[in-house]
Amino acid sequence: MTTEQMLAEIREANLSYLMLAQSLIRTDREQALYRLGISEETATMIGNLTPAQTMKVSQSSTLLCRFRMDDELVWSLLTSHGKSAANESIGRLHAAILLAGRHQEAA
Amino acid sequence: MARNKSILTEARQIDRAVTLIHLGARLQVLESETDISYERLLRLYKEVAGKSPSKGQLPFSTDWFMTWQPNIHASLFLNIHEYLNKAAALDEIDVVIKAYQLYLEQTAAQGLEPMLSVTRAWRLVKFVDNGMLTMTKCSCCHGLFVTHPHEIAKHYVCGLCNPPARAGKGKAAGALQLDAGPGRSPARAEAIAAH
Repeated sequence: MTTEQMLAEIREANLSYLMLAQSLIRTDREQALYRLGISEETATMIGNLTPAQTMKVSQSSTLLCRFRMDDELVWSLLTSHGKSAANESIGRLHAAILLAGRHQEAA
Repeated sequence: MARNKSILTEARQIDRAVTLIHLGARLQVLESETDISYERLLRLYKEVAGKSPSKGQLPFSTDWFMTWQPNIHASLFLNIHEYLNKAAALDEIDVVIKAYQLYLEQTAAQGLEPMLSVTRAWRLVKFVDNGMLTMTKCSCCHGLFVTHPHEIAKHYVCGLCNPPARAGKGKAAGALQLDAGPGRSPARAEAIAAH
């Protein structure tokens, strides 16, 4: 992948992220906060972006969204190496409970 | 009740009631969460659900939430509920509705039967408000799980980190299944795969 391509893909990912976030926020604001894992203020900012601003914000060389599963436990539950299908379902449920319990980034 | 009731408030309450009926709430939930009269609620229920509401007492026991599978479902719901509670300023019943919808999505995404009914979810929130149930941090995975109050937090291990001996052996469709590990028979593995 050339740098050109990489930057183009980052811009595209940013743009789809912002557009998805906006439609989530407009459909159901509170559930969007949970789905996106963002604070009320950030949701207001994203929700108020005009199309032109959205384009401008997405023209960045870095990604706008951040990885949320940044600890080993949740990660291993989700990927569940070498486990059967049954345990995998339990692992995903466990991960969902752990992730839902993290509201410090939203509050 | 006051005669000068706001029509807008009433419209919002009817809207809420309809959402709750769609989610399968019992009539007692609607009675407690709206100011609409019993007769009107009954009519609304029949109109929306197409049948009479189920009768009888609501499930009142806190013990149900302590059994293995219900506890996992209840903990998932309550974690989502707490998340919404912290993240957004909403009326109490709206938090329950929105959290319950997210809970349904999560279970559907994993092909699980939603064990927790909206009535039970609503009840759970009341139990927590009254201090009859609480959330305790698992000493192993640090997730929050529904427990009786005064659980000794230092030694508490959740049902997912340490499943009880018979947990996850039920064969009911949509139930949580847990694998016995290396010692299991091939027939059992097939049953799981077929499921």
